[in-house]
Amino acid sequence: MEHFIETIGRNMFAIFGVMALAGAAIMVASKSAVHSVLGFLFAMLCIAGCYLSLQAEFLGMAQILVYAGGIVVLFLFVVMLVELTKHQGGDIFHLQSRYAVVTVLIGAAAFSAVFRKTLFGPASKEALVLRPDLAKGLDVATHNAQAVSRGLFADYLLPFEILSVILLVALVGAVVLAKTERV
Amino acid sequence: MVNLNAVLLISFLLFSIGVIGVLIRRNALVILMCVELMLNAANLNFIAFARHSGSVSGQAFALLLMGFAAAEVAVGLALVVALYRKRDTVQVDDINLLKG
Repeated sequence: MEHFIETIGRNMFAIFGVMALAGAAIMVASKSAVHSVLGFLFAMLCIAGCYLSLQAEFLGMAQILVYAGGIVVLFLFVVMLVELTKHQGGDIFHLQSRYAVVTVLIGAAAFSAVFRKTLFGPASKEALVLRPDLAKGLDVATHNAQAVSRGLFADYLLPFEILSVILLVALVGAVVLAKTERV
Repeated sequence: MVNLNAVLLISFLLFSIGVIGVLIRRNALVILMCVELMLNAANLNFIAFARHSGSVSGQAFALLLMGFAAAEVAVGLALVVALYRKRDTVQVDDINLLKG
């Protein structure tokens, strides 16, 4: 039993990753939009679990708050707002499956070309751990939020401020786009 | 223990599902969700490489990307609502205003 639990603990990333893939597949394949949103929610929670198992604790929590708490609720509101039931009878898929297959095949070819040597080479055995000489002065593993804040406010302050302007523009744009027209 | 290739493979598969969803679904809301999924796959790569190189820049950029995704989804959903008001549908096949 202890051995079993230890195995699960060691393979936490793979478990969450496969569950995220399942959620994404449900999202693409389900007929009802509400089921799609629920699959999306499940995939986002599992990706948060992946972040946690990669020891990005702050980002995992931010993922749960932003996606499960904000974006999924927004999607559900819009699903409620736009009435989807009247299109329930028709086919849910485009006939663009050929393009989809071709695009994914090109992507898979590029992926395998890049990782042909490394996927089964000696690097594939190497576990993803932090080299202590690289994280100078910070203990990224135990002070994740402090480390991220140092990266954000010391090294990348300008992108952060630009992001705040982008958020303001998106806010105004969303209000302008969604408001009712007055003639 | 996680190795980098496992993360890259999962992220590639998530991105592929996103691409497939964008290309084959007709519902604009589901297409937006698939775009979000692709952004998340990119985020996963950022975090994996941050872990790999031992720097915190990847995590900082992943956080910025998360804010950017929130802005994008707000504008996208506003567009969907505006389209629904105008054309009474969110199926992308029925929206052909530019076709003439």
